[in-house]
Amino acid sequence: MNLNTLAWRNLWRHKRRTLITASSIAFGVLLAVTFTGAGDYFYTRMIDAGANMGMGHITLAAPDFNRAPSSKKSLQRVTQLQQQLEKLPEVKDVMARIQGQGMFASAHKSVGGMFFAVDPKQENAESNLFIKAMVEGGMPRTADDKTIVLGVDLARKLKLTMGKKVVYTTTDKHGDIVSAIARVGGLFQTGSNEIDGSVALLPMHSVQKVLGYQQDEVSVLAVILHDQRHSHQLRDKMQNMTPFSQVEVLNWQQTQPDLAGMIAVDKSSNYISQLLIALLVAAGILNTMLMSVLERKREFGVMMALGLSPQSLFLLVMLESFWLAVLGLVIGVIVTTPWYLFMSQTGIDLSGAYGDGFSFGGVLLDTVFKIRLFKESIIAILIGLFSLALCAGAYPAWQAGRTPPVESLKAL
Amino acid sequence: MNFLKLAARNVVRNSHRSIVTIAAMAFACAMMIVFSALMEGVIAGSERNVVAMNTGDIQIHQQGYRDDPDIYKLIESSASLSETIRQAGFVASERLFAFGLMASDNSSSGAQLRGVDLFYESTVTDINQHLMEGHWLEEDDSHGVVIGKKLARLLDVSVGDELIFVGQTADGYMANDSFRVRGILKSIAAGIDNSGVLMSNTMLRELIVLPEGAHQIVLMRTDRQQDLTQVTEQVKTLVTQNLEVMNWRQLMPVISRFLETAQVQTLIMLLFTYIAVASIVLNAMLMSVFERIHEFGIMKAIGVRPWQIVRLVYAETFIQTLVASIAGLVLGACLTWYLQQYGLDMSSLADGMSFAGVALDPVWYAVLSINALLTPIAFLFVMAAIAVIYPAAKVALLRPIEAIHHQ
Repeated sequence: MNLNTLAWRNLWRHKRRTLITASSIAFGVLLAVTFTGAGDYFYTRMIDAGANMGMGHITLAAPDFNRAPSSKKSLQRVTQLQQQLEKLPEVKDVMARIQGQGMFASAHKSVGGMFFAVDPKQENAESNLFIKAMVEGGMPRTADDKTIVLGVDLARKLKLTMGKKVVYTTTDKHGDIVSAIARVGGLFQTGSNEIDGSVALLPMHSVQKVLGYQQDEVSVLAVILHDQRHSHQLRDKMQNMTPFSQVEVLNWQQTQPDLAGMIAVDKSSNYISQLLIALLVAAGILNTMLMSVLERKREFGVMMALGLSPQSLFLLVMLESFWLAVLGLVIGVIVTTPWYLFMSQTGIDLSGAYGDGFSFGGVLLDTVFKIRLFKESIIAILIGLFSLALCAGAYPAWQAGRTPPVESLKAL
Repeated sequence: MNFLKLAARNVVRNSHRSIVTIAAMAFACAMMIVFSALMEGVIAGSERNVVAMNTGDIQIHQQGYRDDPDIYKLIESSASLSETIRQAGFVASERLFAFGLMASDNSSSGAQLRGVDLFYESTVTDINQHLMEGHWLEEDDSHGVVIGKKLARLLDVSVGDELIFVGQTADGYMANDSFRVRGILKSIAAGIDNSGVLMSNTMLRELIVLPEGAHQIVLMRTDRQQDLTQVTEQVKTLVTQNLEVMNWRQLMPVISRFLETAQVQTLIMLLFTYIAVASIVLNAMLMSVFERIHEFGIMKAIGVRPWQIVRLVYAETFIQTLVASIAGLVLGACLTWYLQQYGLDMSSLADGMSFAGVALDPVWYAVLSINALLTPIAFLFVMAAIAVIYPAAKVALLRPIEAIHHQ
C-alpha cells in the first residue's frame, strides 16, 4: 500500500483530533494572512504617501544635502539627469523640486516653515499629495508665477485668505538672507497639523531667481516608482551608473528616517507576534502527532515485523504531518478567503476610535483598516506553514522509526 | 481516594503529553507577560515624552491662543496667577513664545522661540535632563540657547555655533539678535524637534520687548495618583480671568486615545495567542479523556457521579495550568526584569521613531507591574477552563455500559 494513502487514512482514524489540530493550523493561517496583509497594505500606503509628500521613493540630491540641507548644495544640469531617469523601467515619474526652509510673513505676523518649489508642468495629483489635498484654488499656473500655495493651518496662523500677499524669506545660494513676495493662489489640507501648519508650495522659476539658481538647477529630483518595493535595489543600481556618479542617490528610508524607523519596528513586532502564534500551533501539531505515535507503538512493531524499514515509518509519520498541514491549509483557505475579500475591498473603518487620522513617522495615516497580500508574503506564509509542520512532526516520526519491533509487540 | 491526588496521578500518567501541553501554556504565558510589560513600558515612556518633557499635565492660555498663536494674546498678571497655583499645591512655570527665522552660516529655518523660566521649568518638566549634546541653559549666560534635534541638522550647527534670529518685536519693530548653541535636545515631539529654540524667559522678554505676562502657564500635579479631570476642574476654579484651561488629554486627543487603546491591543494579542493555546489544551484533554473511556465507564458503574467526573477532568486541567502559570510567571518575570533593567534596544532598527508627532525612545523598557503579571495568568485559567468544557461534558454524559465495552 502506498505510504501517502496510508498516512491520509491514519489521519482520519481520529477525526475529532485531526480536525481540532487542522483548525488550529487554519486559525494560524488566518492570523498570518491578516497580520502580514495588514503590514503589506499599510506599509505600502505609508511609503507611497511619504514619497508623494515631496521627496519621492528615490531622491537625487547634491552630496551631503540630505544630512544638512542648504541652498548652497544644488543639483545642476537636471534636465539631462531627468531624461536618464525616465529611461529606467521601474520609474513612473520624475519631478525636479527645490526644498528649502524659510519664514513666511503676512501683515500680521511671521511663521517659520518649509517650502517646495515645483514646476506645475511636471506635477500631477498622482505623485503629489498636496494637489490631491487642495481645498481652495490650485497649483501655480506657470513656473514663473508669483503664486504661493499654503497649508490651511499655516494660512490661518498668518490670517491669510486667497489672493493676499505673503513675504517669504530664506537663505540664497551665497548664504545671504533674501525675501520675495507672492500671492496666495491655493490652500491644501492634508489632515496632519504638522504639515498643514508649516508647508508651502512655490513656482519653480520664481524661486530659482530668488535663490540665484540657473534654469536647470534645483535641490532634489524626486523619483516616484511603480512599486515601492524596488526602491532599495534600484538605488543600489543607480549608485553604480555613470550619469549619477556625481550626485547622492537616496531611498525613502534615508530621506524619511522616522517613517522607516516606525515601519521597521512595527514590522519586527508584527513578525514576532506571528512567530509566537506559529510556535504554539507547532506545539499543537507536535502534541497530536506524538500522542498518535505513542498510541500506535504496537502497530508500528507489527509493521516492522512485516518488513517495513524504520525509514519508511519515519516517512509515514512525516507524511501524516504533511497531510495534516495540507488539511489545515485547505480549511484555512476556506475560512480566510471571504475574510480577505472583505478586508481587501471594504475594510474596517476605525475613524470612530481614532478620529480622522494620525501621523505615523511623520506621515498621515488613514483610518480604514484594510489588508492586501504581496505574492512574496503568500509564499513566505506557505513555506512557514510547511516547515513548521514538518519540524513539529520530526520528533514523533523519529520516535516511530526507532521502535524495536520485539519490545513494542511485548508492550501490550 | 482524594480526587486531587487522583487528578495529579492522571496528569503524570502520560508525562509526554502533559509536558508538551504545560510547556506550551507556560511559554505562551511568559511571552504574554513580557509583551504586556513591554507595552506598559512603551505607553509610560510615550506618556512621559508627552507630559513630563513638554506638555505638562495642564496648560493655561489666553482664549484662542492655541488656534492662532499671536504674540499679543497674553495671560496678563501671569506671575501672580502662577503663584496662586503654586500655593494650591501644584508646580507651575510660565512660558513665552515667539516665531521667526533662525539662520546659521549655511542655511536658515523657521523657528519657534520658547522662553522658559529657568528656576521653575525644571520643577515642572524634565526637559533640562533630556539633552543629546551640550548642557542646559544657565542664568548668567545671556546668549545661550538649546535647540531641537532636527533643527540642529537643518541648520547644520553643533554646540558652540552661532545663530542669527530675525523676527518681530511686540512693539512692531524688527527683532534681531545672535545666539550661541549651548545644547541640543533629544527627540521629544515633532514641533520642538523641527523648530524649537529654548532660551531663558528674561532673554526672550528683552528680544521681543514684552516686559510682562506670558503665553502659557504649564503645571503639573505633585501627586501622580490624583485624577486628571478633577484636577483640571480644581485649576479652573483658581483661574479668575477668562482663560483656557486644558489638560494634556484634551490638548492631544489622538495621543491620549492611542495610549488608551494600546491596552486593547495587548488584550487582542492575548486573545489570539490563547486561542492557539486553547486548541492545544482542548486536544490534549480530549485525547486523555478518550483513552480512558473504558476506565470512566467502570468508575461510573461503581457509583461515581457525573459531576465528580467533571470535577476530576477540571482538576487535571487545573493542575497543568497551575504548573504552567508558575513556570510562565517565573520565566516571564525574569525576562521582564531583564528588559526593565537593560531595555530592548531598537536603535539598530530605527534611527528615529515618531507616532502622531510624539517621539518614541529607541530603547524600550518594560514595566513590571502587577497588572502585566497577573492578566496573562488570569486569562490562561479562563481559556483552559473554556477549552475543557467539551471533553468534561463528553465523559460526564457517557453511558456506563457502552463505555465499559469501548475499546
